[in-house]
Amino acid sequence: MDHIQADLTNYLRSMAFLPKDATLDPKDSLTSAGIIDSIGLIQLIDFIDEKYQIQVPVDWVSPENFDTLEGIERVIKKLLQEKP
Amino acid sequence: MKEKLAQCRRCILDSRTPGITINPHTGLCQWCEQGPLKTATEEANRILATTRGGGEVDAIFALSGGKDSCYTLYRLKEEYPDLRILAVQFDNGFIADSAVENAQQFCHKTGSTFLSLSLDPLLLQTVFRRAAESINAYPVAARIRASDICNTCIGIVKQKLIELALVHHAPLIVFAFSPGQTTSPFVRLSAVYLRWFRNMFQKELEAMGVKNNDELLIPPELIEAQGKREMIIVHPLLIWDYHKEQVEQAVVTMGWKRPELADKISTNCLLNAFANDNHIRKYGIHPYAFDLAALVREGRLSREEALRNVNMEQSQDLIQYAHEKLSIIRK
Repeated sequence: MDHIQADLTNYLRSMAFLPKDATLDPKDSLTSAGIIDSIGLIQLIDFIDEKYQIQVPVDWVSPENFDTLEGIERVIKKLLQEKP
Repeated sequence: MKEKLAQCRRCILDSRTPGITINPHTGLCQWCEQGPLKTATEEANRILATTRGGGEVDAIFALSGGKDSCYTLYRLKEEYPDLRILAVQFDNGFIADSAVENAQQFCHKTGSTFLSLSLDPLLLQTVFRRAAESINAYPVAARIRASDICNTCIGIVKQKLIELALVHHAPLIVFAFSPGQTTSPFVRLSAVYLRWFRNMFQKELEAMGVKNNDELLIPPELIEAQGKREMIIVHPLLIWDYHKEQVEQAVVTMGWKRPELADKISTNCLLNAFANDNHIRKYGIHPYAFDLAALVREGRLSREEALRNVNMEQSQDLIQYAHEKLSIIRK
């Protein structure tokens, strides 16, 4: 698994969003699978901002971008590429 | 073999709570090991100091009439006197009379406009009954944070306050949430996020069996009309230096009255004791433990006081009152 997805999974486990022994498919919906709610989503974005030293633009916070590990990884990579 | 119960030696979380791990070497839970909450205090203060609306209202304020929200309203107006506030008390059908008096009094003191927000009482009773009867309608992390009933009530309040902010073109929405209830001092809202936010809550309501739920949600046409207009939720209690035990002293000095009937934790809601009892019976989790633990961790409440709160018996009178009002047979 890509290290970004591993970081995200570890974060979700450490914050009690995901049981320690549970696995997550990159395409699984984090909201439909009952992993995060609206507060959890904001916490996750704060973690991403801090961990990767990026600023997620407010209008990028959509299901297409943030409801799966795959989508979140894509956003992080894009923002890292654009980083000065 | 049964695993031995471990409790964090710093806060009050224990290994019975799903997802909580106590490190056997340090004796600390994972949150205490991470250290204090990081807060973007400077940016949040700048938002409160400079964000103003083009209409008649700058901020929609969630005013329960409890001590935290009354304190936050008072301090907000002291620090930002030019902020034009519409303070909204959501009437969930279980608000203590004294909480209404407290809310009105603090609006009067601060020159804020008071609005009592009501919805169909029968719909609310159905929603709270369904929340009480539901199992796992919310994610684990949400169930640790608050009871199913509180999560539902707060969910409705958020939807309705955002709706009011959209109607009044108010750029700020302020909640007196504490560090255990949220971790972000502010949240910027876009139309695309609001659409998702609405959808998430709608699914949670549906998971509880509440189907016809449009009245509880932000009208979609208002979200579409937002365009690029800036809207931000702010949580001042995450950026201010305050101590939980001093809050009550401060508000009492200003004329705040503690309700005679309410339980020791909630000072505004007559449904809270039942919500706590229901949550403990369903999941074995005290719905205030996580919040109180965060306050202890942040140095805003003593560990002894937090433990006293979670070990306190719920008011049987209030539990009976809620059973009768929600037409739930007591087992």
